Amino acid sequence: MTLSGELIAFFGLALVAILGGVLLITLTKVVHMVIALVFTFLSIAGIYLLLSAEFVAVVQILIYSGAITIVMLFGIMLTKHQESDEPAKGGWGKITLLLAIAGFAVAVYLGIYNLDIPVQPATLHEENTKQIGIELFSKYVIPFEVMSVLLLVALVGAIVLAKKDDEEGDQS
Amino acid sequence: MMENAWLIPIFPLVTFLVLLLSGGRLRERGAYIGIICTLASFILSLLVLMERFKEPTYKITIDWLSIGGTQLKAGFEINQLNALMLVIVSLVSLLVQLYSKGYMKGEERFSTFYAYLGFFTFAMLGLVMAPNLLQLYFFWELVGVGSFLLIGFYYYKQEAKNAAKKAFIMTRIGDVGLLVGIILLFWGTGSFEYGEIFQAVQSGVISNEGLTLIAILIFIGAVGKSGQFPLHSWLPDAMEGPTPVSALIHAATMVAAGVYLVATMFPLFLASSAAMQVVAITGGFTAIFAASIALVQKDVKRVLAYSTVSQLGFMMLALGTAGYVAGVFHLMTHAFFKALLFLAAGSVIHAIHTQDIEKMGGLWGKLNWTGPLFLTGTLAISGFPLLSGFFSKDEILMAAWENGNYLLFALAVITSFLTAFYMFRLFFMIFTGESRSQVKQVKESPSIMLLPMLVLAFLAVISGYVQTPWFGTFLGEWLMEGNETLLGGNSHSEGPVWIMVMAVLVSLAGIFLAYMIYAKKKLPRSWLVQENNEFYRVLDNKYYIDEIYHFTVGYAIKGLSLFLSYIERFIVGGVVSTVTISIEGLGKIGSKLQTGQVQRYGMIAFLGLAVLLVIFAVTGGYLR
Amino acid sequence: MTGVPLSAYLVLALVLFCIGLYGALTKRNAVIVLISIELMLNAANINLVAFSKLGVTPSITGQVFSLFTITIAAAEAAVGLAILMSLYRNRKTVNVDEMDIMKH
Repeated sequence: MTLSGELIAFFGLALVAILGGVLLITLTKVVHMVIALVFTFLSIAGIYLLLSAEFVAVVQILIYSGAITIVMLFGIMLTKHQESDEPAKGGWGKITLLLAIAGFAVAVYLGIYNLDIPVQPATLHEENTKQIGIELFSKYVIPFEVMSVLLLVALVGAIVLAKKDDEEGDQS
Repeated sequence: MMENAWLIPIFPLVTFLVLLLSGGRLRERGAYIGIICTLASFILSLLVLMERFKEPTYKITIDWLSIGGTQLKAGFEINQLNALMLVIVSLVSLLVQLYSKGYMKGEERFSTFYAYLGFFTFAMLGLVMAPNLLQLYFFWELVGVGSFLLIGFYYYKQEAKNAAKKAFIMTRIGDVGLLVGIILLFWGTGSFEYGEIFQAVQSGVISNEGLTLIAILIFIGAVGKSGQFPLHSWLPDAMEGPTPVSALIHAATMVAAGVYLVATMFPLFLASSAAMQVVAITGGFTAIFAASIALVQKDVKRVLAYSTVSQLGFMMLALGTAGYVAGVFHLMTHAFFKALLFLAAGSVIHAIHTQDIEKMGGLWGKLNWTGPLFLTGTLAISGFPLLSGFFSKDEILMAAWENGNYLLFALAVITSFLTAFYMFRLFFMIFTGESRSQVKQVKESPSIMLLPMLVLAFLAVISGYVQTPWFGTFLGEWLMEGNETLLGGNSHSEGPVWIMVMAVLVSLAGIFLAYMIYAKKKLPRSWLVQENNEFYRVLDNKYYIDEIYHFTVGYAIKGLSLFLSYIERFIVGGVVSTVTISIEGLGKIGSKLQTGQVQRYGMIAFLGLAVLLVIFAVTGGYLR
Repeated sequence: MTGVPLSAYLVLALVLFCIGLYGALTKRNAVIVLISIELMLNAANINLVAFSKLGVTPSITGQVFSLFTITIAAAEAAVGLAILMSLYRNRKTVNVDEMDIMKH
C-alpha cells in the first residue's frame, strides 16, 4: 500500500482520536478528561472530511466540540465536589470487563478486518450540503420534523428536571 | 293420573326453592307454602294410588346419558310398593308440617325449617319413585343430606352438631356398601334397571357367591339408613333434632328407606338364602337389642328412638324370613303409630319443656287430648288386639314361624313383650302418678298440633284392617299382583292360631307388668333389676356401643391420622421446606447480585453479549 | 485512487466504541459516563458516514442519518445532564455507584 496523503491524514487523525479516548480513561481530573475528549471529537470531524462529508464534519465540530462539551463542562462546574474521579474499588470486575471488551472487540474485528467492498465512484463531495439539504427536506422530511419535536420535548424535559423545586429548594 | 306422578316430588322442591330464595323473609308464612305444596303432593299421590288399584305398573324413562353401548336412564315408576310409599311419605310429611306450624312457633329460622322439610320430602318422594338403582342412589344421598340438615337444625347446640355429623358419617358407611353393591350389580348385569337386574339374576348371570355378596352389600346400605345393628347408634342421637323432624325422618320415612330398599331389591335377596339369613338375623338381633336398651332410657325421645330401631329390626326380620308383605305392612303401620307417638311426645315436651320422663308424671288429666292419643299409639305399637300394630306384628310372627326359624321367632316374641313393657313404662311414667314437673301451668297444645295427631291416631287404629286373618288379605294380594314369581308369591303367612293368642298374651303381660311397677307401684322398680346392677348399667349405657366405637374405630382412625400427620409434617414437610430453603438461598444469591449499580447491570448484560459473540465467532457464522 | 480501506474506518470506530464502553461501565462520575456514551455514539456515526461513502451503494443517506444521530445525542446529553442536576440536588453526589436507591 503506497503511502498517500489521505492515508497519512487518516492515521494521524485516528491516532489523535484514540489517544483522546485513552486519555479519557487514564486521566484523573474530570475537566481534563473532557478536554481530552474534545481532541477526539475534532479528529472525528477530520475523519468525516476524509469521508467527503463536510457538512457532517462541521456539525460535529459545532455540536460536539462546541455545544456538548460546553454543556458537560457546565455540568461538572455545577455539580463538582471532588475534583478528581477516584478509581472504583472492584479490580475483579474491571478485569472481567476488560476481558469481555477484548472478546467483543476480537469477535467484531474478525468480522470486519477483511471486509472488502469494491469502491464505487461517488459524488458525495460535490455540493455536499446541497445534497443533504435536498435529501433532508424531500425524502426525510417527516423524520426531520419528528426530530424537531423530539428536541423540543428534550428541551422542555430538561428544563423541568433541572428546575429547582421551590419547596425542596427551601429545604436544601 | 300416573303419568303426572312426576309432579309429586316437584311440589316439595318448589317449597324448598321458594323458601330458600326468599331468604327467610316469609317468616312463619313459609309454613303455608310448605303445607299447600305438600297437600298437593299428597292428593296427587292418593289419586295415583287409587288409579294403581285398577291399572298396571306405570313406568317411563328417558335416556339420560349414553356411554358407549350403555344407556343410563332417568324417569319414574309407579308400582304397588312405590304408590303405597308415596302416600305414606306425603301424608306423614303433610301432617308433620301442619304440626310443626304449632310446634316451631317463634322459632327464628322458621322458614328455613320448612325449606329443609320440603327438601327432605322431595328427596324421599324421589327415592321411592326411582325406577333404577342409580337414581335411587342419588336420592338416597339427598335424603341423607336432608336428614343431616334437620338433625343439625339447632346447630348452635354442640350435641346437635355432633349428632348431625355422627348421623351423616355412620349412614355414609352404609352408603359405601350400597354403592359398591350397585357397582358390582352393574358390573354383573350391565344395567341399573330393576326389571333387567331381576331378570339377569333369575337367569343366573351372577354366581351364587356373587349374589350373596351383592345382596349383603346392599343390605349394609339399608343397615346404615335404617339404624340396624351395628350402625344403629346414630339414630338415638339424631333425636337432638326438632321433634317433628324425628317423627318425619327418624320414625316414619327415612329410616324406612332401608326397609324399602330391601323390599325393592327383594327378588335379589330371595335368590340368595345366605343373604336372607343375614337380613333376618340382623333384624332379629337389632329388634331385641334395641328393645332391651329402651327399657332403661330416661329420655322420652330416646326411648322412642330405640323403639324405632327395634321395630325396624322387626321389619328386617320379616323381610329376611320371606315375609315381604309382613315387612311392608309393618312399615306402613309403624309409620303411622310411630309418627303419632313422636308427635304426642313432642306435644308433651311442648307442654312441660323437658324430655326426662323422671320429671314428668300425672299429666293424664292435664293433657286431655295428648294423653289418649299417646295411649292409642302405645297400644298400637304394643300389639294390643284389634289395633294396627297387632295385625302387622302378627303377620311378622307368622312369617318367622312359617319360615321355620324358631330361634328368630322366639326373639320376636320376647321383643314384643319388651316392647309392650317399655312403651307402657313410658306411658305410665309420663301420665300417671305424682307430678314431678317444675312447670305448674300445663297447657294443652294448640289444635294445629292436635289435628295431625288425630289423623294419625285414626290411621293407627284402622290401618291394620287392610290385611287381617279375618277380613281378607287385601294388601298382600294387591302387593303380590303380577309379581308372584319375583316376590315368592306369599301374600299371607299362615300359622297356628296359638301364635296370635300368645302374641296377645305376651303384650298384655308386658302391659300388666309395666302397670304393676310404674302405675300401681305394687312391685318395686328394682323388682326386675337393681338400678346400680351391672346389667342395668350396661343397658343404660346402650351396651357401651358408642364407647366401643370410640375406643376401637375412633382410636384406630385417630392413630392412623396421627401417623399420617407425622408423615405429612416431617417427610412431606421436610421435602417442601428443603425446596423452599434452597429456592430461598438461590433468591438470596440473586438479590446479592442486585446491587442497584447500573454500571454493574450494564457490565453483566454486556458480558452476556460478549460471550454470545465470542461463541458465535469461534464456532460458526460468517467465518465458515 | 487508493484510499483508506473501509475496514480501517471500521476498526477505528470499534476501538473508539470499546473505549467508550469501558468508560461508561467503569467511571464513577456521572458526567464522564455521559461523555463516554457520547463517544460510543460518535463511533457509530463514523460507521454510518464510512458506509455512506465506501458501502455497497454510496449515497448521501448515511450522512443524513448521522445528522439524526447527532441530534439524538445532543438531546440525550441535555436530558441526561438535567437528570444529573436533579439527582445532585437531592443526593449531593454525582457518583454513579451511590445511586442505588431503586434496588429495594
